[in-house]
Amino acid sequence: MSNWLESAVTRAETVSDWLSPKREASLALLREAKVPTRKTEAWKYTPVRAIDQVTVSTEVSASVQVESIDDLNSVDLVFINGEFDAAQSSSELPAGLTVSRLVDADDSARAWALSAFSNIKPDRHLFGLVNDVLATDGALIDVAEGVEIEQPIRIVSLLTQGAEAHTRVLVRLAERSKVAIVEQFLGNEASYNTGFAEYDVAAEAELEHYRFATQVNEALSIGGSHFNLGEKAQLNSTLIGFGSKLSRVDVDVTHAGSHAFAKMNVIYLLDGKELFDLHSTVEHAVPHGTTEENVRGIVADHAKVVFNGRIHIHRNAQKTLAELNNRNLLMSRTAEINTKPELEIYADDVRCAHGATIAELDKKALYYMQSRGLSRSQAQVMLNFGFINELVEQMPNQVLAEWLRPQLKARFAQMEVG
Amino acid sequence: MTEQIDKVLEREYEAGFVSDIESETFDPGLNEDVIRRISAMKEEPEWMLDWRLKAFAAWQEMVEPEWAHVDYQKIDYQAISYYSAPKSMADKPKSLDEVDPELLRTYEKLGIPLIEQQMLAGVAVDAVFDSVSVVTTFRDKLEEAGVIFCPISEAIKKYPELVKKYLSTVVPMKDNFFATLNCAVFTDGSFVYIPKGTRCPMELSTYFRINEQNTGQFERTLIIADEGSHVSYLEGCTAPQRDENQLHAAVVELVVLDGAEVKYSTVQNWYPGDENGKGGIYNFVTKRAVCHTDAKVSWTQVETGSAVTWKYPSCILKGDNSIGEFYSVALMRGAQQADTGTKMIHIGKNTRSTIISKGISAGRSNNSYRGLVRMNPGAEGARNFTQCDSLLIGDKCGAHTFPYVESKNPTAIVEHEATTSKVSDDQMFLCQQRGLDPEKAVSMIVNGFCKEVFKELPMEFAVEAGKLLEISLEGSVG
Repeated sequence: MSNWLESAVTRAETVSDWLSPKREASLALLREAKVPTRKTEAWKYTPVRAIDQVTVSTEVSASVQVESIDDLNSVDLVFINGEFDAAQSSSELPAGLTVSRLVDADDSARAWALSAFSNIKPDRHLFGLVNDVLATDGALIDVAEGVEIEQPIRIVSLLTQGAEAHTRVLVRLAERSKVAIVEQFLGNEASYNTGFAEYDVAAEAELEHYRFATQVNEALSIGGSHFNLGEKAQLNSTLIGFGSKLSRVDVDVTHAGSHAFAKMNVIYLLDGKELFDLHSTVEHAVPHGTTEENVRGIVADHAKVVFNGRIHIHRNAQKTLAELNNRNLLMSRTAEINTKPELEIYADDVRCAHGATIAELDKKALYYMQSRGLSRSQAQVMLNFGFINELVEQMPNQVLAEWLRPQLKARFAQMEVG
Repeated sequence: MTEQIDKVLEREYEAGFVSDIESETFDPGLNEDVIRRISAMKEEPEWMLDWRLKAFAAWQEMVEPEWAHVDYQKIDYQAISYYSAPKSMADKPKSLDEVDPELLRTYEKLGIPLIEQQMLAGVAVDAVFDSVSVVTTFRDKLEEAGVIFCPISEAIKKYPELVKKYLSTVVPMKDNFFATLNCAVFTDGSFVYIPKGTRCPMELSTYFRINEQNTGQFERTLIIADEGSHVSYLEGCTAPQRDENQLHAAVVELVVLDGAEVKYSTVQNWYPGDENGKGGIYNFVTKRAVCHTDAKVSWTQVETGSAVTWKYPSCILKGDNSIGEFYSVALMRGAQQADTGTKMIHIGKNTRSTIISKGISAGRSNNSYRGLVRMNPGAEGARNFTQCDSLLIGDKCGAHTFPYVESKNPTAIVEHEATTSKVSDDQMFLCQQRGLDPEKAVSMIVNGFCKEVFKELPMEFAVEAGKLLEISLEGSVG
């Protein structure tokens, strides 16, 4: 057993709260767990040894300011190093929205959380288990039936130098409700966090979801967003990933009710020695589900990207439409792309397809732009931006898209220099 | 519809007869002594025995792979007989006239006419019956061209330098569980050497048949295409109908030197077991080619048999400008399971690979494509195109795709696409409206689905493959 895993188990044994009944099963699994190696399929390209190298200090500064997103007018829930920061969080909530913290949930919230905890993705990987046993704070978000929340909810998790944090978010959308939720992870100094969110989207409810996994440099970040879609539920999710020393996200969608619709757009941009690993799994358990997944990325310098996109059509899931498209631009001779789109199909009356491409920028397009007087690097930034912007344009919230664009541009410029 | 499919899919396995041939078979079991005995039976030189024993020692340390999407009962390696030879082989036939007539009749039943039809077809055949190579036709004509085509057991004795130089250079001894087992216990197989600049005057063919009960077949094929040479090689297989599972763990190595071209075609029709998955062959095969500069390898396979197939014919594109191709049709029905695909390892500059895989699943079968395309840092300007299509017939089967794509060179271009569809009602309606009965219609649609692969097969094989498909699909729609 590795040091961090041992320490996680030891610490977990001292955790005792109302979630303990749920934590125990995970702890039992964790005790038996082995650190993933190259031979572990889910971690084949992603070494986790960096976790043993991170020095977690007990005294971390907690007085940092989280930048707000202009014009977003969001309901903010801010966690600094895993602890809720009431001062930076919104104190007023729109009608129909209930938010409680894991630590001070009332009885009804507890009852719900106990039944929902680790339910959407019961088959948890090692870090999911770590989060199960160590998550001490987080949010329980409840959207009432038929309510449309206009303000987006923004959940920020910020890590400072030497911090370790495990946060958990549980979201419940009651029937016909509608909400937008932004998960934002910040802090680029040496730290380690696991952050998982579980979304239960009831019949005819609509969830707009964003996850900005944009921690870079020394920050080790492992997490995931898991969705359960009821009948005619709709999910529109956008994930932005910048790599870091270790950055891994698992996105899981289960079509539990028929006629549900899931759209997922993913953008990853990597530079330096960054690593980004995305595992996405879509389970079509019932008929008439639709999934559209578009994953695009640009990988420069010494960076490495891993994408595993699995679509599983169960025996009963007739009339499913599922498409997954993964397009990659490889910018450098020392960078690396590993992609694996998977289809597992047990029903015959379905239309499923996936595609994956890896290439460099179109030389003709570059030449064309250079012949119009642009420098090579200007042309590259422009083409890269065009490649990514197609997905940015599809973001339902244009305020967020506007906020994101300059960050992406800065990233391109940096990739160009590197 | 499904019931009708099931009903018709209960068709008989046409090659399922047992030949009444006296044979000499080892008692089941595997230990060093068995390996020594195999080696002694084959009158092998000392170095070969040492090599086998080394492999056996390594194999005992290895574990059976479990990553494939197949489910089968654990194999008891001590319950298999590792050597079986038709008795009349004891005093080896010098010509076809001396071969046991019953054996020849077996081949005739299988449609491998060793004599006349071969003349017409111009195919030289090496037939392997259980563990030994029975006969190789057209040897003189091949010798004239300088081509060596003989059982590998003979090559070990006659051309030890060639064998030593190339054996296990493509598939290393410790490559995988089944390949290592094959190193230890392989009994025969084919050996081909095409000299520099030679175009093999005829197509070469090997026919494999497992006849004895409780035996395994472990053949080993080594093909060396010297610089600028060309050869087309065909391989076919059958086995009798038996209740227990039989293991077939072959290794095929292709060494394709500068500017040479090898076309390797397989029609695999091992006994698939009955409708409930009882019996049938476990087909666990390692096939790999190394392509040197400007060389080309083309794997074409039509897989309709075996209870479980685990097979990934691969190309290591080592030399600049080398080309690898993989064309595959896998038709699974009943309780059959296949996990098959290819690996294309691009090492040299401007290397190119094409993968076309067509999987058809019917009954309760499961059909998986598993492939790897790897662009190494040196694969400047390399190109890959992969297309995997699955067709599902009925709602109890499964079709899966597991492609691994890895690239470390920005100038390399990789494209992968996969689709899944079924024989649509519209297509059926159209065909029937034009006067085709449903059975013909399905066969036609499936044939169209597989066309890209069939056109890669040599003529005779394409006809055979088409027929095989037709038989397998007989009445699969109503």
